[in-house]
Amino acid sequence: MTELLLQTVVNAVYAASYMSLIAVGLVLIFGVMGVINFAHGELYMAGAYTVVALYSQMNVPFLAAVAAGLIFVGALGILMEYAFFRPLRDNPLGGLIASIGFLLILQTTAVLGFGVRMAHIKPPTQAKIELMEGVVLTHQRLFVIVAAIALLSALYVFLRKTKFGWAMRACAQDKEAAALQGISLNQITRIAMFIGAGLAGVAGALTAPLVSPTPYMGHSVIVTAFIIIIVGGIGQLEGAVVAAILYAFVHTFVTTFFDGVVADIVGLVLMLVVLVIKPTGLFGAKERA
Amino acid sequence: MLLEIRDIHVHYSGVAALKGVSMQVPEDGIVTIIGANGAGKSTTLRAVSGLTSISSGEIWFAGERIDTLTADKVVARGIAQVPEGRRIFPDLTVEENLRTGAFLRSDKSDIEHDLEKIFNRFPRLRERRRQWAKTLSGGEQQMVAIGRALMARPRLLLLDEPSMGLAPVVIQEIARIIREIVREGVPVVLVEQNAELALGLANYAYVLETGSVSLDGAADNLHENEHVKRAYLGV
Repeated sequence: MTELLLQTVVNAVYAASYMSLIAVGLVLIFGVMGVINFAHGELYMAGAYTVVALYSQMNVPFLAAVAAGLIFVGALGILMEYAFFRPLRDNPLGGLIASIGFLLILQTTAVLGFGVRMAHIKPPTQAKIELMEGVVLTHQRLFVIVAAIALLSALYVFLRKTKFGWAMRACAQDKEAAALQGISLNQITRIAMFIGAGLAGVAGALTAPLVSPTPYMGHSVIVTAFIIIIVGGIGQLEGAVVAAILYAFVHTFVTTFFDGVVADIVGLVLMLVVLVIKPTGLFGAKERA
Repeated sequence: MLLEIRDIHVHYSGVAALKGVSMQVPEDGIVTIIGANGAGKSTTLRAVSGLTSISSGEIWFAGERIDTLTADKVVARGIAQVPEGRRIFPDLTVEENLRTGAFLRSDKSDIEHDLEKIFNRFPRLRERRRQWAKTLSGGEQQMVAIGRALMARPRLLLLDEPSMGLAPVVIQEIARIIREIVREGVPVVLVEQNAELALGLANYAYVLETGSVSLDGAADNLHENEHVKRAYLGV
C-alpha cells in the first residue's frame, strides 16, 4: 500500500509539472493580452508533433527536437499576436473567437500532415530509477519534472529581476500607464506570446513520448488548463502553479484509486467548490479594471 | 518654445472634447492649465502624450512634430507624464515601479544614481522600497508616480491633478517638490482643479472652458482676473 501511495505521488508530481507549464502560459497570455487563448491546447499539440516530425521521423536528437518545439510554437504565438490579437486588441471577444479559428487550423494541419491516428514515439530512454521497492520514476518523466522546474524558475527570475519582466507585469496591470513609461505594448505582447505559447509547446514536446500524440489531444488539455486557472485565480501566475499541483494530485489520486472519469468529475467539482467559496480563485485579488 | 500645441481638436466617439486648443510651453518654469471638470485639461495632456489621437491640429516638441507618435515614442522624445489618479502599478514593489520609469534608459550607473536621488527626495519611499505599491497611502503613491516619471530623465514633465484626493499638508509637500523639480531645470505643465495652488506655483496659465482656451496670461495676472476669481478661486 505504501508503495502504491508513493508511486501515485511520483505520478502526480509528473502531472503537476507539465500541467503547470501549460497553465502558466495560458495565464501569462491572459494577463498581458486580456484574451483567453482557446488555441492553447493546440499549441501543446503542435509542440508534441514537432517531436513526432523531428525526432521520430527525421531522427533529430530528442533534446534538439524539444528545443525546436519551444521555438516553433513560440513563433506560432508571435504569429497569433500579429495576425489576430493585435488587430483585435480592443475586442477581447473577437480575440477569443479568432483563437478558436486558429485552433481548427492547427488541428486540420496536423491531420493533413500526420493523419488522425495516434503517433507512437519510441522513448529516447527506457532507463528508470527505482526510488524504493516498487516505486519507479522513469528518466523520461524525471526529465519532464526537471525541465518544468527549470523553465518556471527561469520565468520567475525573468519577471522579478529583469526590466522586461517588470515591463510585462506593468503591462498586465495598467497598459496605458505602462505606455507612459516608454514601454512598447507591441514589443511586450510579442514577448509574452512567445513565452506563453512556447511553454505550451515545450510541455507538448517533453511529454510527446509518454502520451502518444493525436491531432485532437489539445481538447482535454485546454479543459484541464481552464480548471486550473480558475482555481488559481485568473491572471495569477503563482496561483496557476499551486492550482496545477493541487489539481494534479487530486486527479492522479482519484484516477489511481477510482477511475479516470470520476477524476474528471472531481476536478470539475473542485473548480465549482472554489468558485462558490472564493469566486476570484485561491490566489485571486479584487477584480482589476 | 519647447512644446507647442497648435489648434488641436479631439473627439471622443463623435463628441468634441477639444475645439481648437493652442498652447506654448517654454524651456523653463511652470505652465498651468486650470478649468472645471470636463473642460478638456486631461484630454490636452493625453493628446500630448499620444494616448489620445487628435483629429486636427499639430503638436510640436523641441522642433519635431509628435502628434503622430505612439505613447512610448513620445516618452522616448523626453516627455514624461504623471497621469490623473497616479496610475502606479499596484502589484509591483515601490522600487520596481520607479525602475519601470527608466525603461528606455540603458545607462545603468546613472539609473542607480537617479534612484538614490529619488529615495533621498522621498525618504519614506526608501523605507518602503520592497513593499507592494498598493499598500502605500495616497500621498506616498503620488510620490511614487512623480518619482517614476523623473526616472525617465524627462525634458518636460506633465502633471495631471497631483493634488487630487490628498490632505492639505501633503499637497504642500507635493507643491514643494514641484518647485524643486523646476529649479533643477525640468519645465512642468501642471493640470489642476485647485486653481489657487496652480496659480501660486505657475509662471503662465491657461484657462480651459468646454474644450477651448478662454483666457491665458501670466499666472499673477490671472490670479487677479475678476472672472478667474469668481469662477475658480471662490472669492
